[in-house]
Amino acid sequence: MTGRVIVITSGKGGVGKTTTNANIGTALARAGKKVVMIDTDLGLRNLDLLLGLENRIVYTIVDVVEERCKLKQALVKDKKNPNLCLLAAAQTRDKSAVTQEQLKDICEQLKEDYDFILVDCPAGIEQGFQNAVAGASEAIVVTTPEMSAVRDADRIIGLLEAKEEIKSYRLLINRVRPNLVKTNDMMSVDDVVEILSAKLIGIIPEDTGIITSTNKGEPIVNDEKSLAGRAYKNVAQRILGEEVPYLDLEAETSMVTKVKKFFAGLIGKEKQ
Amino acid sequence: MENGVSLFDNDTLNNEVSTISESSLQNEESHSSEDDFAYIENGFIVDVSDSRKISDVIYQLSSVLDLPEAQEKQVCIKLGSIDLNSAQVSSIKALVETMNSEIAFISTTSDITEASAKEINVKVSKIENKIVTPSFDNSKEGSAELEKALDKIFGGVSSEAQKLKNKISQFAKSSISKTSENNTESDIISSSHLSDISSSINDGIGTEVDDFKQYDDLNKELAEANRVADLEEEKLLEELKEKMILTEKLPTLYIQRTLRSGQSITADGNIVIVGDVNPGSEIKAVGDITVWGILGGIAHAGIEGNRFAKIRALSMNAIQLRIADVFARRPDGDNIPYIQKSDTYVPEVASVDGNNIIIHKMINK
Repeated sequence: MTGRVIVITSGKGGVGKTTTNANIGTALARAGKKVVMIDTDLGLRNLDLLLGLENRIVYTIVDVVEERCKLKQALVKDKKNPNLCLLAAAQTRDKSAVTQEQLKDICEQLKEDYDFILVDCPAGIEQGFQNAVAGASEAIVVTTPEMSAVRDADRIIGLLEAKEEIKSYRLLINRVRPNLVKTNDMMSVDDVVEILSAKLIGIIPEDTGIITSTNKGEPIVNDEKSLAGRAYKNVAQRILGEEVPYLDLEAETSMVTKVKKFFAGLIGKEKQ
Repeated sequence: MENGVSLFDNDTLNNEVSTISESSLQNEESHSSEDDFAYIENGFIVDVSDSRKISDVIYQLSSVLDLPEAQEKQVCIKLGSIDLNSAQVSSIKALVETMNSEIAFISTTSDITEASAKEINVKVSKIENKIVTPSFDNSKEGSAELEKALDKIFGGVSSEAQKLKNKISQFAKSSISKTSENNTESDIISSSHLSDISSSINDGIGTEVDDFKQYDDLNKELAEANRVADLEEEKLLEELKEKMILTEKLPTLYIQRTLRSGQSITADGNIVIVGDVNPGSEIKAVGDITVWGILGGIAHAGIEGNRFAKIRALSMNAIQLRIADVFARRPDGDNIPYIQKSDTYVPEVASVDGNNIIIHKMINK
């Protein structure tokens, strides 16, 4: 088995790399693939929190690198999905604890047993980024429709193109608010794609459910009703090579707002 | 013959606890015979013949006499070749008497000890020859094997004796009853053949002695193995006790600030933190960990294997608790990344019970 190593990166912080990683990983595992997620954000790890696996971590990637344990011992199995594993980052160390070669080596080892290796990249373009990208052959660039995030994504794409190992990269636009796009207060998806001239892999709408899912330690893909969850599921299907149409966010959200307005109107009438 | 008996003694009498009743039984069985061999009723034999020092004798004696079965009994002490003066013998006597027992007689191969025992009116006797053929309970574990070994020894003796008798009868050329004793036979033998006979007897005895030595060694090895196992167990217990005491003596690191995510503290002794320990931080201590605040990170007490180490906190909200090699994690479900604030704290203590970590709430204590 030769797995695909995909790095999820953004340049800017807070655009949803880790959330994307947790959700795509969970969706792929739910589709029956064997998935391992590597958190390379040493010192600022969050992936374990999002998956609700914080209390199970005994060994981290630094322990593997420093040969205090075997690679298999350090893989934390997901609570629900046995196909899903996490290789956690060390919280008490910094980025220099792992080198590019060591991460590459770990990815090579994991390739043999897993279909997908998703590498969660730290923000920035320094050593942490270089490490995360080292073992990968594909990349997903996460950005939001904001000028600063798009600028950073552009920088990242430039760096990725310079890397020989990265065969392909796709763009994921996160936190899209169709209402704002409609009123020209936010960049549209098309604008972002045009600026970055990159192939799209998914559009994720802004969803308040993400906040609760993060706090619960439960990826939002497990929630069938959530719009963002469905969008992430579609991204996973596209990674698997299926043709899935993009969600019509405007229609979906407008339906919701219509219903909301309807009920609001009813309540308003009662009050009167 | 002496060696043969000492083999038996080593096996049964040296293993003090299990064999006291057995040996006293044997004494009762065999006390019908000769007068010059003393016997004891309601008593037992303590074999300390492998001791080379008076301290060994005292140690072995006291460990046997300490047993509840050994109270208010007659005691026979088998001393072996050790040389004791009268003061030492009287101290042994005093030791036995403090244990509410009484010395029936002692057995020794040393003339000095014998003399000093007679000085203070302790009866000296020989018990070696007394135990003739020990009877064994087949149902007892391991006795079958011993019996086999003894069969070989004693069976070997009798056949050897048979051969000798045949030889003797040939030399003497007279009709002698086959059941009679060797001693009576030798009276009849003519003096001219006496030297030949005695040499052949010596040869026979020589091979017997070799046989006995072999089993003697085996039993000594067994006894040694038992002793080593006991010692190891004792050592382990002592080690644990030591660790408990050591925790108190360890240096203590005193920290008066909140430990934040990513911060890690390792100490060679105990750690006291006045402040919170936030999730994502790590404390490792050779001794105990005490947190005067909310413990929300990972705490590992007794990192060098001290299972007696404890983790205390005003509020226990740790992601993981580790004590020595025991590990516990926060249950799933209440996986809330921020600390739950509350107005009142109930101090909690985590310690190891068996292979689990148990957290006690400190209420009404």
